Amino acid sequence: MSGRVVICGVGALGSTAAVLLRNVEADLVFIDFDRVESKNLAAQAFTKVALGKNKAEALRLQLANFWGKKCEAFPVRLGPDNVEVLLAGATLVIDAFDNQASRLLLSAHAQAHGVPLVHAAMSADGSYGLVRWEERFVADAEDTPGQATCEGGEHLPFIGVIAAHLARVVQDHLRSGQRRDVQISLSSALLL
Amino acid sequence: MAILNITYQGYSADVPIELERTISDADVRRIAVELVRSGGVPGLQLANLPADAFTHYVVDRFDGDHGPRLFLRPKVPFGA
Repeated sequence: MSGRVVICGVGALGSTAAVLLRNVEADLVFIDFDRVESKNLAAQAFTKVALGKNKAEALRLQLANFWGKKCEAFPVRLGPDNVEVLLAGATLVIDAFDNQASRLLLSAHAQAHGVPLVHAAMSADGSYGLVRWEERFVADAEDTPGQATCEGGEHLPFIGVIAAHLARVVQDHLRSGQRRDVQISLSSALLL
Repeated sequence: MAILNITYQGYSADVPIELERTISDADVRRIAVELVRSGGVPGLQLANLPADAFTHYVVDRFDGDHGPRLFLRPKVPFGA
């Protein structure tokens, strides 16, 4: 289960999945340029002491302080100019970004370098989510620009369900190389 | 025979459909509206489902063990 797992975007899905991945032997690396705001506490895995801190760095501190899991943090925005450096040495990349452009950037990198990439994503209304490997994933744009996201906390339980599936999919991959997709709707989980 | 999976308002169900040719995404959306309206989708019967209910939905197409698998699903732009 060793390796270097890079989680891109540690907001709702990314931070929650990271907490559930604290027992893997692989090194965890977090990338996120954003800072923790009070509204994030309702739907993301951050605690009050993280307010104002960079999300990647705050998550690194939380995993170290709560569970003794040492991780790396890159408090930067991933873009075309730094993607090669930030993802260097990655044995698995997890896409938990919140926008199509960044997801496409990860896809291009993964395809160019043959790095395994798994995506986690959810719908705006919090009724549907999926965990899907790069070879079967299509990055969706928002229905309308600036569409409301999952910040209010209403969708926290469902975020937890998707993140749990993501963590298990990653565990399975690290253990056996398996690449399992999961589609989750609010009323059921359909294993594919 | 293809299997179409339809997700709507948190419910998701499979329904077999006969396909004599490759159909467009717009066709899939139109068929799905009729199926849901008519009660042809287990657990999803909405007689007054709007014709544009699936306008922003995505059609994923995969090869299944027993034929084509189509998924009509909401967009999933969010993660972080």
